[in-house]
Amino acid sequence: MKKLGLYIHIPFCKKKCNYCDFYSCTSIKGLREYISAICTQIEREAPLYREYLFDTIFIGGGTPSLLESNDFSLLVATIKSNLNLTQGAEFSIEANPGTITKEKLTCYKENGVNRLSIGLQSTNNEELKLLGRIHSYDTFLKNYQLARDCGFNNINIDVMYSLPNQKTNDFLETLKRVIALNPEHISSYCLKIEENTPFGKMEYLPLPDEDEEYNMYISMCELLTKNSYDQYEISNFSKKGYNCRHNLKYWLSEDYIGIGPSAHSYFDGKRYSYIESTEQYIKQIKENQIPNKIYEQTEENTHSSPQMSKMDEYVMLKMRLSSGVNREEFESKFGEALEVAYPKITSFIQSEYIVYENGAYSFTPKGFFVSNYILTEILKF
Amino acid sequence: MNQKNIRNFSIIAHIDHGKSTLADRILEYSNAVTKREMEEQLLDNMDLEKERGITIKARAVRINYKHKDGQDYVLNLIDTPGHVDFNYEVSRSLNACEGALLVVDSTQGIEAQTLANAYLAVDCDLEIVPVINKIDLPSADVERVRNEIEDVIGIVAEDCPAVSAKVGLNIDQVLDAIVEKIPAPKGDPDAPLKCLIFDSHYNSYLGVVVYVRVIDGTLKAGETIRLMSTDAKYDVVEVGYLNAFGLEKADQISAGEVGYITASIKTVSETRVGDTVTHDQNPADEPLEGFKEALPMVFSGIYPADGARYNDLRDALEKLQLNDAALSFEPETSIALGFGFRCGFLGLLHMEIIQERLEREFNLDLITTAPSVIYKIEKTNGETIMVDNPSNYPASDTIKTAYEPVVKTSIITPTEFVGGIMDLCQDRRGTFKDMKYLDSSRVELHYVMPLNEIVYDFFDALKSRSKGYASLDYELAGYEASNLVKLDFLLNGEIVDALTFIVHTEKAYTRARKIAEKLKDNISRQLFEIPIQAAIGSKVIARETVKALRKDVLAKCYGGDITRKKKLLEKQKEGKKKMRRLGSVEVTPEAFMAVLKLDDSEK
Repeated sequence: MKKLGLYIHIPFCKKKCNYCDFYSCTSIKGLREYISAICTQIEREAPLYREYLFDTIFIGGGTPSLLESNDFSLLVATIKSNLNLTQGAEFSIEANPGTITKEKLTCYKENGVNRLSIGLQSTNNEELKLLGRIHSYDTFLKNYQLARDCGFNNINIDVMYSLPNQKTNDFLETLKRVIALNPEHISSYCLKIEENTPFGKMEYLPLPDEDEEYNMYISMCELLTKNSYDQYEISNFSKKGYNCRHNLKYWLSEDYIGIGPSAHSYFDGKRYSYIESTEQYIKQIKENQIPNKIYEQTEENTHSSPQMSKMDEYVMLKMRLSSGVNREEFESKFGEALEVAYPKITSFIQSEYIVYENGAYSFTPKGFFVSNYILTEILKF
Repeated sequence: MNQKNIRNFSIIAHIDHGKSTLADRILEYSNAVTKREMEEQLLDNMDLEKERGITIKARAVRINYKHKDGQDYVLNLIDTPGHVDFNYEVSRSLNACEGALLVVDSTQGIEAQTLANAYLAVDCDLEIVPVINKIDLPSADVERVRNEIEDVIGIVAEDCPAVSAKVGLNIDQVLDAIVEKIPAPKGDPDAPLKCLIFDSHYNSYLGVVVYVRVIDGTLKAGETIRLMSTDAKYDVVEVGYLNAFGLEKADQISAGEVGYITASIKTVSETRVGDTVTHDQNPADEPLEGFKEALPMVFSGIYPADGARYNDLRDALEKLQLNDAALSFEPETSIALGFGFRCGFLGLLHMEIIQERLEREFNLDLITTAPSVIYKIEKTNGETIMVDNPSNYPASDTIKTAYEPVVKTSIITPTEFVGGIMDLCQDRRGTFKDMKYLDSSRVELHYVMPLNEIVYDFFDALKSRSKGYASLDYELAGYEASNLVKLDFLLNGEIVDALTFIVHTEKAYTRARKIAEKLKDNISRQLFEIPIQAAIGSKVIARETVKALRKDVLAKCYGGDITRKKKLLEKQKEGKKKMRRLGSVEVTPEAFMAVLKLDDSEK
């Protein structure tokens, strides 16, 4: 049976962070109604996935840890009774340190959650306040310990860098404290100012310059590698055997379905997402309709240029990962030598943006940090 | 038609003083067209003209008018281009008339082009009838403007019509003034033929339609004509009059009349404005005075942003040239920009109009180089050459003397801006000639300035220093010896030919620094550091550096939203495709354009 990943989007937050432009609502009034809509959709669409085995589940947001235990149990029960899960499927949930309780953790554990992803972002309380986070570092520490006590042995900690006024050493301080906690996985994202966010609307934001950001990134890669965190993706690091299998699906062009408004899917060769409206989503489910989907525009359905071919997309996605593009795999998939299809790829080796190792081309850390630029050079579209 | 009942006139005005609107009202009032047909201004029929409110090419229209004296009159309105770039064309149009309506905005008063046009009309011995316009506006000051016309231009304005073309007030007075004040033509219909070409227009069915004023003689279809400047002969296919909505065929056109000729002529460049048409048999002894070829004064390289569209650009230029004999172009190759054309224009406005028409009507994305003038170089080997492309400027040790074109400029401005404008003219190497008070609040300044300084964003600087109030007019005043240098720009050690400038020695450093800074701001970071240098010969006089790119990544890709990442890269790729590769450096078309405008007024 074919493998499939399941993503469930919980677009609810207590408060929106100052940098976040992902779809979510700050009123949690409709949360219960929303969960029941999700369950309805899963039940209704289950026949579509009869031939598939789900080997990853990822409950993301928003703030999934806002869910009350009984709602969460209902959701998991619906998933389990309608979809085929593999033995030992990876089951992740994102949790905001400000909403974690012992009761919830116990509930997750009982329902088979085996991976916890905690959004810390920074260990500096001033930075947390600036970001608009609802928790302090101490709250995080307490809840992290609680999770360990509950028996979670696969925990990710999210951090952010390139924050206003931040210097490389400030960020390394956060990292060192996180490393000291010895989580299995660390995701580290560069702050990006998006237009429709409080940060985006601020007239003056003293952000680090490009050179400082570069220093942060390179020092981070060095520090984490030294502490036996393997960089397996641009922004993701893990102890051996603790890659996030769900997130890897995105880059390995494996199938995943996303349920909920703004959730993205790659299924049956097509990419689509549900429109960003919880209200409309609930309404359409109630009225027995299929929620509105937006399909990705591809070469087949538009003629605007430039557009990535399947081959370009394959290379772009693979290059997100440190494992890169394998020559043999590429050639057997596309019937063409990688260097013939993408002759420019070798020209970045000498300058150490790309390495060729173990039969694969991949970015070095320095290459990762300018990967958009290099990809637009290499790809054919 | 008896010549006594013909009136040939033009309307002249400063930009926006309401020339076209008045023309519309005259046509409407005399029933040449109905109001319904007048929805669009007839005389300006190019989009661009409508938007800019200026008339680019002359048109003419014949109007039948019954005067209050009971007689029928034919009024030929010959429209003129309203800008200094087209001075020569204006003067030919005026030569086809006996009188001119001088439209002055009652809220603005006399402007630079009002004066320039009025002087042209005086030179052509025309009867000038002032028309004070826009009296419906609250800020109209008819008496002030009346006095100004009398004091500054020296013509009687005591009883001239004061109108509102917009609302159609007092238009009858204008028509009466045309009949009563403008003299009838006095040609001899039996003398050898002399027609003045004041415009021509290409029509895909008829070939070139030549617009003429018959000065002497009579012309019929089937006769053979000769153009006196070239001695080219043509058999006349058709003659007739110019109606508001097209051509009206006639048996003949004769002395005093305005009409058209078709004779299977293939391009407008054969029928130069100002040339004299005569009969091949029994020709006139002498052509009409004043013919000269319209010579381009301003040059610029025009390149397609997308190199693959070179042929489209050539086709477009050819099409425009069909109706614009003053536009010249020849193929040119730039290392930086690839294949394009060196184009010559009458002036800056002409250049802008052509560029805009290429972009709008032909859907072309263009890269244009900074405008240049023609330099005259006496070389040490005794040779004299003319250089219209800075890249071809000879090495300094081979130059004995370099000459640059200078222009006489007239600037009219409210007094409060005089200081700033004088600083600007000084800065642009102007030589002050004189200053005249037009009234207590406005001044006319005269400077002699290098054209080189005018073509380089002078007009924008003038406008920004006068809050848009100052007006400018200029005319060529010959060549003057000058201390010029060729300023090159190097990216990563290589000269970018499209950025080469000719500049006065004293201004080389400032300009070099400014352009180097602009380049730095407009060149995006690449994987290596890019030095920018400005050099005179081998001497580097300014330097900037574009730092190496360190970060260009979408670090977070949320919830499997691959589409967003793809779109981002596709957009980036699209931008990249528009870039020009100069050696190892990639430059956006915007970078080339950004250095064309250096706003050096205080902000």
